[in-house]
Amino acid sequence: MGAVLAIAAKDLRQRMRDRSAWVIVFLAPVLISALMALAFNNNDEFRADIAVVDLDRGPAAAGLTQVLKSPELRGTVHVRSYGTEAAARRAVDAADVHAAVVVPAGFTASLHGGAAAPVKVLDSVDYGLQAQLARAVTESYVAQVNADRLSVTTAVAAGTPERDVSRLAAKAALLRLPEQVRAQGLPDDPLKVISYFGPSMGMFFVLFTVGFGARSYFVEQQQGTLDRIAAAPVGRGALLIGKSVSTFVYSLAGLATVTLVSWLAFGARWADPLGVAVLSVAMAVCVVCLTALVIALVRTEQQAQGLASILVFALALLGGNFVFASGTTPLIRRLAQFTPNGWALRGFTDLGTGVRGWDAVGAPLLGIAAFSAVVAAVTAVLLRLRRTP
Amino acid sequence: MTDPPGSPDTVRPVLDCARLARRFGERVAVDDVSLRIAPGETYGLLGPNGAGKTTTIRMVCGLLRPDAGTVRVADRPVSTAAGPAKQLIGFVPQDVALYPDLSVRENLRFFGRLYRLPRRRLDRRVDEVLDLIDLTARAGDRVDSLSGGMRRRLNIGAGLVHSPTLLVLDEPTVGVDPQSRHAILESVNRFGEEGMAVLYTTHYMEEAERLCDRVGIIDRGRLVAEGSPRELVRLVAERDRIRLTAAGGLSGYAEACRRLPRVEGLARGGDHGDVVELVVKDARSLLPDLLDLAHEQGVDIRSVEIDEPDLEAVFLHLTGTALRE
Repeated sequence: MGAVLAIAAKDLRQRMRDRSAWVIVFLAPVLISALMALAFNNNDEFRADIAVVDLDRGPAAAGLTQVLKSPELRGTVHVRSYGTEAAARRAVDAADVHAAVVVPAGFTASLHGGAAAPVKVLDSVDYGLQAQLARAVTESYVAQVNADRLSVTTAVAAGTPERDVSRLAAKAALLRLPEQVRAQGLPDDPLKVISYFGPSMGMFFVLFTVGFGARSYFVEQQQGTLDRIAAAPVGRGALLIGKSVSTFVYSLAGLATVTLVSWLAFGARWADPLGVAVLSVAMAVCVVCLTALVIALVRTEQQAQGLASILVFALALLGGNFVFASGTTPLIRRLAQFTPNGWALRGFTDLGTGVRGWDAVGAPLLGIAAFSAVVAAVTAVLLRLRRTP
Repeated sequence: MTDPPGSPDTVRPVLDCARLARRFGERVAVDDVSLRIAPGETYGLLGPNGAGKTTTIRMVCGLLRPDAGTVRVADRPVSTAAGPAKQLIGFVPQDVALYPDLSVRENLRFFGRLYRLPRRRLDRRVDEVLDLIDLTARAGDRVDSLSGGMRRRLNIGAGLVHSPTLLVLDEPTVGVDPQSRHAILESVNRFGEEGMAVLYTTHYMEEAERLCDRVGIIDRGRLVAEGSPRELVRLVAERDRIRLTAAGGLSGYAEACRRLPRVEGLARGGDHGDVVELVVKDARSLLPDLLDLAHEQGVDIRSVEIDEPDLEAVFLHLTGTALRE
């Protein structure tokens, strides 16, 4: 135990004296997440300015505007009216609004069974999330309208007199689709950008610890100190555990710094501090496993650096550390489920939107644990296969 | 001054290597090497680069598993696992193996902690070692701010913190300036005098002659000869040469010298010139007789040069190659 602590303390002392380690694990994630938060939103909360072009002038179009202005979306969606589609397009291009919904003429009339042009959503590549929100609300509303129209058309086909169609349509409009998807947490407690990018950047930079840890092993090998340790009455296990402890403490300190700073200085909200701590510990353990894997796979410091960098960027890209997971393709969202940082981000996102306890961290913990277990098993096999001296 | 070390054949050896062998692929690095070192004895493993010195000491220190043979330190088996024998070994690698971003004291403390020294004893030993290697004034400085010679001394100090019974030094003076080299050799001399067993590898024969009670000559992985430097020289049966310079009239003196029992021949001098060169057995013991003879014959000896065969000659004789090849 004494040797383990001596090795861990020595490694940590060396890292504390390495300025680049301070910058990468403590300073950079805080600065970059703060910059991202500022860049995405001045109020630091998600906001969607949506233009509505009502060419229909009927009650169905008015209904869509009402949905966008509903209490559930108040604070997030801000509606502005424009007279023409061209004007709305210009506003979107000029970034005066994030997206625009164009309701075509005849939209209300189509409720009576007629054909209608589709509702359009004009978007901008710069505001994908807001456009997604506008599209989701519109599609939901149009689905409701289509259901109404279908019911009226069915009634007419069944022989309902023409004079009763208007009454039927009004009645149908009062009904709601039996199944509606409701996003948990989001309506009541919208996710703050810093609550996403704080842990996201923290994890991205903490993943660099994999490179630090693996390189330190090979540097020791190169400078002969590893031999010196091996010549002492210190087991190989004690050496690995000592190095793992320092990597763990360093990673955890990095994540803790980011979550604390994003909370205290930038107002990130965490529904459950214990959940944040548990996720951070799980990620730190995972970083230890990844470090061991890199050490087991390579032979030199340069190889360790190269492999660790590839690993870090692959995990960060797949796990959603650079963009909101919702803004990526379904394939990437699926692949994120194979990354520990993807799972951790999912947990942090839930914690940032008011979800607590096992509901927030249960699945992410299992995901991270499964990933870590696989990595640890592969590492153990590789180390066993390596020729012993 | 302590008593000279006992022979490992008469006292329990600190290090006992029996029939060590190790190969790397097809190449045989160490082949059937056996050696023993007594307490207080300094044993030099002498051989050119690639002879198998480093491989041998890596097996002695438990850094490399032998293909065959055993290593025991104070009767405890050495293995690559963390065993009690390793507590007794101090290892000083050939290259400086220290943490450049830690201070001198932090390095010593770290290596001391690996040997589980209690805190107070560790503090005391670190101070003692700092004093021994003459780095007390630089204790708080980072290693990367030290000169090459200071780092070399600290490299040795790191192997001494836990007061080992056996100190293993792998060519500690390679690439060292003369002043630091002298300091290192002085220290090693002291370790032996203090009762520590020392295994010292080198390819500098003058170091082996100066430091070692016994020398093992290793070549192509095999220990080809072993003994004290004088024993090894006698082994090859080479003769000493004595060159005497005097002021004129040496023919009678040269002839008288040639008749002395341990003089085997006259290489030069006698008939003309002022130099007499004799081929003798054990020049040092014969020298008083030669000077007495000169006095009797009224010859004024101006200078005496003794040319004894050394380990270089021994090595050449045994292996057919010069030591530094």
